[in-house]
Amino acid sequence: MKRKLLGIIDATTYHEDLEDLLTHRSLAALPFAGRFRIIDFVLSNMVNSGIGSVAIFPKMQYRSLMDHLGSGKNWGLNRKRDGLFFFPSAIVDSEYNRIGSFDLFAANMDYFYRSTQEYAIISNCFTVFNIDFAPILDWHIRSGCDITEVRRQDGSSLELYLLKTSLLLNLIETRDQTGYSCMRDVVHDMYHGHSICHYDYQGYAVMIDSIKDYFSTSMNLLKPEVWKNLFLPEQPILTKVKDEPPTKYVKGSFVKNAMIANGCLIRGAVENSIVSRGVKIGKGTVLKNCIIMQKCQIEDNCYLDSVILDKDVKVEAGTSLIGTAQAPYVVQKGTKQGALMNS
Amino acid sequence: MVKKKCVACILAGGKGSRLNDLTKDLAKPAVPFGGKYRIIDFTLSNCTNSGIDTVGVLTQYQPLLLNSYIGIGSAWDLDLKDGGVTVLPPYSESSEVKWYTGTASAIFQNLNYLKQYQPDYVLILSGDHIYKMNYENMLEYHKEKDADVTISLIEVPWEEATRFGIMNTDKDMRIIEFEEKPANPKNNLASMGIYIFSWNILKEYLEIDAENPDSSHDFGKDIIPLLLETQKKLFAYPFKGYWKDVGTIQSLWEANMDLLKEDCELDLFDDKWKVYSVNPNRPPQYISPDAIIKESVINEGCTVDGEIDHSVLFHGVSIGKDSVVKDSVVMPDVMIGTGCFIEKAIVPCDLTIPDGTVIRSFDNEIILVTKEMLDGLYPAY
Repeated sequence: MKRKLLGIIDATTYHEDLEDLLTHRSLAALPFAGRFRIIDFVLSNMVNSGIGSVAIFPKMQYRSLMDHLGSGKNWGLNRKRDGLFFFPSAIVDSEYNRIGSFDLFAANMDYFYRSTQEYAIISNCFTVFNIDFAPILDWHIRSGCDITEVRRQDGSSLELYLLKTSLLLNLIETRDQTGYSCMRDVVHDMYHGHSICHYDYQGYAVMIDSIKDYFSTSMNLLKPEVWKNLFLPEQPILTKVKDEPPTKYVKGSFVKNAMIANGCLIRGAVENSIVSRGVKIGKGTVLKNCIIMQKCQIEDNCYLDSVILDKDVKVEAGTSLIGTAQAPYVVQKGTKQGALMNS
Repeated sequence: MVKKKCVACILAGGKGSRLNDLTKDLAKPAVPFGGKYRIIDFTLSNCTNSGIDTVGVLTQYQPLLLNSYIGIGSAWDLDLKDGGVTVLPPYSESSEVKWYTGTASAIFQNLNYLKQYQPDYVLILSGDHIYKMNYENMLEYHKEKDADVTISLIEVPWEEATRFGIMNTDKDMRIIEFEEKPANPKNNLASMGIYIFSWNILKEYLEIDAENPDSSHDFGKDIIPLLLETQKKLFAYPFKGYWKDVGTIQSLWEANMDLLKEDCELDLFDDKWKVYSVNPNRPPQYISPDAIIKESVINEGCTVDGEIDHSVLFHGVSIGKDSVVKDSVVMPDVMIGTGCFIEKAIVPCDLTIPDGTVIRSFDNEIILVTKEMLDGLYPAY
């Protein structure tokens, strides 16, 4: 597989409905499930499927994404041969916001010319799933199709495409003549003579494109049937490791139905919530239906219901914040919430 | 080879026989501790946090797991172009294999490792202890005192002083007398087994000791008394803070229980002095709607359906419905079924505890659960 399939992740996507969580980061770097970033899912899937060369195409605000990926070591992609490649876009503002923009690829043609892998898989960066690409490649080869589009059970596209690297090169090189600007244009058109097939993926897969989706997908993680489908011991979702101690539950704390990452210090009550690494929760504080991102500090006697706290938020003692499942209360990264601010 | 000011050697060959079955296939420094760590993490992290970037780890007893755990040292930021971690196992020379017969002989056999860095100072450490210490401060002290050897000391309870190597000092902290496990200790300052040697002294005395057929080749028993006899300048460096030699099942259990206190002296949450370890990369812990968690330390990858009361869970542990784990330490990837009751126990890695198992101590002694014990409870049909 290392020599057979090339992994390409389009990390340029921006969703306006996620704006409050994307002011400091790209969508690919959106924290998810307590210790991951959204891109970890597709990247780990590629590595677990045996892909040894992965190219990531990011755009704007990619500091946090680069910091997260580093040399690719946490995914075993810091290799002498192949490994992880990072191609920030030179095009600051392009018209198209579609997966697999050929303009984007064209700026880094050398990567495609130098790669020896016969096939390529092009993916978006914001799908939460645990999938093995090897059987899909087999299926693609057996079916004899030129391009395979992977779809969900409900028939909607997962914006995931398989094709021969040579065909991809051809599509990039001829984009001005054909008018196809991205993979989606190609699969939606009938008149190019390439055969298009659809592979129906039966497993769990959610594409995150709004705060509401982000919130509900996060809450669904608390269902064992969901997390058991996502966190498979034999196909682990890998991420940047941090040296946090195990989480400490102090006397008097109360926790029920929660997913909690390492390095937390919990003195209060946590229910139906996702808590990321290094969060401190004070005495007498109650969290319900919340998503708390890294390093937040919630002081004593607070009440938070249906709230998303972005990273490094400090909630002062006695503060009450309440949102709803339809419209969770979002607090932006690095801000402070005081008890008097909302009264 | 680039010259290094100070090179550390960690003695990690210990068997830890009083840890019974826990160290049957495992060297003592590799024993899991604190929900995430192995004991040697503390010493390795101390080195990296103290700015000591050249560390030899001397292994001998059951080294497989320890060697692979240390790897190239990347977990402690010790995978470096110059220096970094080097695992030093015993080796054979022309006609014979030379096992490490004592702490001094282990270092003596690796003089060539040390020589290549031309160090000014050599820091000798044990991989068996749980503590956080800045060795740089101790090195400064060693230089200030213009010492030949500096030995780190800690105050121990008087009644326990008979178990340690006790140092008697003058008012300047110069060591005038050393007594190994004295029946009537004159003070309660015990050696922590941490030494800084000026390189020339170390080389000279190890060579003298190696020639002595009557020596047991031990720092405490042979080298230190010889240095005192020959009027060398030995200074005591007093250390204050958490320090534990977890030599027994009881003390290993106690050290784990220490972490549950709200004001635990061993602060693992200190960002300025992180304790590094090989991170397992598991999903966050899942606490189910039926779970009850009281005063516990729980690592990633755990799934808890039962009740955890005053216990330490390592990564990947799963606890079934209606099970109660109380005052216990559960090591990585243990699966505890439903309806179990486990109290005052240490459950070693990878064990599967069948549904309905009851493990409890009636004499307050800590139980080390073994596979044999479980097989006895549930004979195979």
